[in-house]
Amino acid sequence: MRNKGRVLAAASAVFALAVTAACGSGDDTTKTPEVKPEFNAALTSVFNPSDKPGGTLKMAISSDWDSVDPGDTYYGLSWNLLRLYGRSLVMFKAAPGAASAELIPDLAESLGVPSDGGKTWTYKLRAGVKFEDGTPITSKDVKYGVMRSMDKEVLVNGYTYFNDFLDLEAGYKGPFKDKAADTKAITTPDDQTIVFHLKQAFGGFDYFAMLPATVPVPAAKDTGVKYKEHVVSSGPYMFDKYEAGKGFTLKRNPNWDKATDPNRKALPDAYDVKIGLNADDIDNQLISGDLHVDIAGTGVQPAALPKVLQDNALKAYADNPAVARLWYTSINPKVAPFDKKECREAVMYAVDRTSYQAAFGGEFAGGQIATSIMPPQIPGYAPTNVYPAGADNKGDLDKAKAALQACGKADGFEVTMGFRAERPKEKATAEAFQQSLARVGIKVTLKGFPTGDYFSLYAGKPSYRNSPSTGLGLMVNGWGADWPDGYGFLSQIVDSRVIRDSGGSSNLSVMIPEVDTMIDQALAETDVKKREALWAQIDKRVMEEAVILPGVWAKALTLRGKNVTNVFVNEAFGQYDYLSMGVAQ
Amino acid sequence: MAGPAGLVCPAGPAAQAEIVVTFFIRRTIGAALMLLVVSIATFLIFFGLPRLAGATPETFAARYLGRTADEHTQQLFAEKLGFYDPLWLQYWNWIKAIFVGTDYDYGTGIEHCAAPCFGYSFRTNHAVWDDLLDRLPVTVSLTVGASILWLVTGVAVGVLSALRKGSFFDRAAMTGALAGVSLPPYFTGLMFLYFFSYQFDLTAPGGTYVDFTDNPGEWAYSLILPWITLAMLNAAAYARFTRAGMLDTMGEDFIRTARAKGLHERVVVTKHGLRAALTPIITIFGLDVGLLLGGAILTESTFGLKGLGYLAIDAINKQDFPQIMGVTMFAAFFVVVANLIVDMLYAVVDPRVRLS
Amino acid sequence: MATRTDTSAPEGIKAPAKAIEGRSLGRIAWTRLKRDKAAMAGGITVILLILMAVFAPLIVGWLGHPPNEFHQDNSLLAAELGGLPRGDFLFFESSGISGDFLFGLEPQNGRDLFSEIVYGARVSLLIAFLATLVSVVIGSALGVIAGFFGGLADTVISFLMNVFLAFPLLLFAIALVGVLPDTAFGLSGNSLRIALLIFIIGFFNWPYIARIVRGQTLSLREREFVDAARSLGARGPYIIVKEMLPNLVAPILVYATLLIPTNILFEAALSFLGVGVQRQVVGEPGVTWGGLLSDAARNSVVHFMFFPGMAIFITVLAFNLFGDGLRDALDPKSKR
Repeated sequence: MRNKGRVLAAASAVFALAVTAACGSGDDTTKTPEVKPEFNAALTSVFNPSDKPGGTLKMAISSDWDSVDPGDTYYGLSWNLLRLYGRSLVMFKAAPGAASAELIPDLAESLGVPSDGGKTWTYKLRAGVKFEDGTPITSKDVKYGVMRSMDKEVLVNGYTYFNDFLDLEAGYKGPFKDKAADTKAITTPDDQTIVFHLKQAFGGFDYFAMLPATVPVPAAKDTGVKYKEHVVSSGPYMFDKYEAGKGFTLKRNPNWDKATDPNRKALPDAYDVKIGLNADDIDNQLISGDLHVDIAGTGVQPAALPKVLQDNALKAYADNPAVARLWYTSINPKVAPFDKKECREAVMYAVDRTSYQAAFGGEFAGGQIATSIMPPQIPGYAPTNVYPAGADNKGDLDKAKAALQACGKADGFEVTMGFRAERPKEKATAEAFQQSLARVGIKVTLKGFPTGDYFSLYAGKPSYRNSPSTGLGLMVNGWGADWPDGYGFLSQIVDSRVIRDSGGSSNLSVMIPEVDTMIDQALAETDVKKREALWAQIDKRVMEEAVILPGVWAKALTLRGKNVTNVFVNEAFGQYDYLSMGVAQ
Repeated sequence: MAGPAGLVCPAGPAAQAEIVVTFFIRRTIGAALMLLVVSIATFLIFFGLPRLAGATPETFAARYLGRTADEHTQQLFAEKLGFYDPLWLQYWNWIKAIFVGTDYDYGTGIEHCAAPCFGYSFRTNHAVWDDLLDRLPVTVSLTVGASILWLVTGVAVGVLSALRKGSFFDRAAMTGALAGVSLPPYFTGLMFLYFFSYQFDLTAPGGTYVDFTDNPGEWAYSLILPWITLAMLNAAAYARFTRAGMLDTMGEDFIRTARAKGLHERVVVTKHGLRAALTPIITIFGLDVGLLLGGAILTESTFGLKGLGYLAIDAINKQDFPQIMGVTMFAAFFVVVANLIVDMLYAVVDPRVRLS
Repeated sequence: MATRTDTSAPEGIKAPAKAIEGRSLGRIAWTRLKRDKAAMAGGITVILLILMAVFAPLIVGWLGHPPNEFHQDNSLLAAELGGLPRGDFLFFESSGISGDFLFGLEPQNGRDLFSEIVYGARVSLLIAFLATLVSVVIGSALGVIAGFFGGLADTVISFLMNVFLAFPLLLFAIALVGVLPDTAFGLSGNSLRIALLIFIIGFFNWPYIARIVRGQTLSLREREFVDAARSLGARGPYIIVKEMLPNLVAPILVYATLLIPTNILFEAALSFLGVGVQRQVVGEPGVTWGGLLSDAARNSVVHFMFFPGMAIFITVLAFNLFGDGLRDALDPKSKR
């Protein structure tokens, strides 16, 4: 039994199957049988399966995401969506339940072939794949896509995995600085083959090959920051209209050949994506059926939440997927008195975890109370609860007071807590901390920061957060897995080596040499089971240090629009799978 | 607004024309000067103050670059955007770009930003000027609809109140008006949204806006609540003004003269009383419209209308300085121009003003 | 046109300044004021509000719960509905209004809305009064200087007033609060914030006072008693302090009273936009009505919007009624 959520999900899957069976032939998808909507029906199985093409899928989101440029985006929803117009080397299987954790080849013929003990990875491209203008896609286009994505001065969003792992020449500048720039870190022996050369062995490189940066980009059509205004499609759909900040439409790409692509059903004829709608209005339109998907995938707004939960007819159109995301609070050991472990422990014991959960919207909209860092859906998860907050999760005040005594602050102390000012849930979290810590005499001063600068200039910048005058002892934080495995979830938040003086890192408080060593061990470990076990140990080890107070493992109460077919939650994204959805006519 | 009247000084027609021209020129120069001062103050607040508070050229660059940029990249970028230059030079370049445009190098080739160039947003890299133009229709729609509504209702109620001074209508209207000026728009707006949109589903939910050109009906439907919210506030104020103005004028000698001439009371009221009472109202109206065109911050943020006011708040929350500068100057421009127009109209209507 | 982007300015300030006779604030004014029922109601409400602010801890101790205390018990908040309060009262659905919680509970954390409203009066009134004081000091000084000395001083000050009127003030206030450091002038945290807000609000509103004082000074300057003093050899400063100021007290008092509600609205607007005083557990709770409204905007629970909004409305209305009455009482030419 890995966790309760899984068991519940499995149970509801069985139930959903039973319902499907009762309504007639569940397999016969050509007839598109009337399927009775059910709460969580799309969680672990395909709801309303269909192969019928046609129609326009209407999607909306309340606030814009970073970019639609595959080399410049770091949002899960964007990675989910861009599979419609871009093909990376490898992708997560578009399937419900645990199956979606499986990596399968997309633009490549097969998963990567390692050599040199995992330092070299080779991919062969499928034959006959073309860009929207009919030019064949070659390995050089993939190489160019990766190379351009590494220039963080031009394409500022996104990860630095390739920058960090590829064996780049010193002084490598990238194609934007120097059109003729080349690197031996990626080689293309022929038009169908691409080889990645790494600095160190890395067993999980296929996860990198899944990143949108490996979507091919034709160098001749690259316009840098402006490429997002016309991304050249390699997938079944291409951009029709694009209006920055307002939305775009996708139409079928005539040069996409289904024979080269076993992973995509490509059911709708078109997609209509609207950006900047009012969040409450999106909920209303989903309920009325005017809209099919809220791309944000973060669930309904507080206004609609009680409505959906109270009305069974509405609730039948809702799902409650778990997202591989932890909302947590960093406890900064560089700020007194948190340099003493016991003082950190006092916080761990004293915080009322139920109020943390309430701040995020409760069990359905917020999530499950977390007892450690790694979410349960990450392979290798082992339940651990180093600092139990009492039987009712409302905090263990006796232990907290004992810990305060032990750290020499029996009467409590004062500390400043940072949060992102425009995020109401994080503000509510900070207020909940104030409230529960006041019970043991710890006085918390709140400090809101502009969201855009939180990591680059304030909490994320060591010189700011550790300074005696502006020091932040507590910092509200959150992290979602780049992909659902131990490395994808933990490396950016518990490895002390990702902390940079220039700021920007998500790791605000974990600096444990032993953990760094354990991470290196896990990276080098080729045995999957052993590697997963190692990540679980790292999880526990970090918890023991009391530098992270886990809040909730996120869940979202999402609505699937009426008339949508082939809906299911892709666990890799924790959202509906945007690639597979269709529209009933 | 008109300054206190100086002495009336009769002059010949030629001299009069000259005075008018000089007056116009003087006022235009004054307006330009005012914009200059506003721009310097704005620049100092957003680019100077943060420096005093500890921001460095690199932190400005960091806003353009996002989280993953290392120190070296930040320095290169700060250099490229001229953040190391002395503040006066940065200001000069900023002003220059507005008039002659400028070139930006984003690493993907030089990009020309044509005049009027307000630079690029820190966060989205969009040209600020395009963003401003993009948001303008929303604010204009909101302002135009609401201003018509409040001018008509405000003046009508004010006139009726004045004519029936002391009546039940007068007292009820004036009590209502005082309540109206005491209501914060974000409170009325929220209550309206809750009842009319959320509970009874009669009006569009917050955040909806349809372009007039797309569908005039939907446009009005999406704006009706914001119009009423904004208009209520000002209608109340205008009703009070109009009433006071009417009472003042109706007691003046020329009204008595008009009455003595045996003119019909209706003519006295509309032709003489209302006209005199309306002149200051129109002045204030011009200024209010100018002010609102710069963005009705509270109404826009309550209703989630993505106009200039919303953009301003958004820009401030995101510390997006080029955008803040742009929207502030845009707003100041409307205020100053409205002032100028009102002044000039006044000068034409009322010769005494020219000398003040 | 006070701080109106879309906040309202009291009409008294908007209206062209009318000369108010600076005669003794004696019995006549008081008699007139006493006869004005609306003004008296406003005045009494203002006094009650001040008492409420001063004795907030006592009132809350008697009728409510500490303003920061969470009440997340499942009997009060429906955890299964994302923390919606249980219990309806009239049209306040899911408000949790009861004898125990007079104005109901805040969703999710279950704070006592009544106590929060009572405490909210403190921040609101403190900032509004002191900011008005700042405006009055700056405005009167500059207004008198401009009016009395005329010439270059008048030109510069009048230009300054116009510049201030051209600024999108709300924007500036927000930006300033965001840009300034955490500790300054030996203050930090909320005390610094409050000081800053007082200064900013006061500083941006001085032109309204200045304009009125300037106008009054201009007309007083030409009056006989000033001429008399001057001919007796009195100098500028003496005339200003001894002859002008006493005659300026009445108009300043009236317009200050009318500026208070504007400042209340300004503070509430800043809090609504998230840049006002921050909530704290240590010392003062720092609850603001505007802040409550902004939280309420996200929840669509009607009682949560209604009570803070009404608190602002009633306070502003009371000051407006009283200020209006005061002006009428002090102004013999006033017509009602």
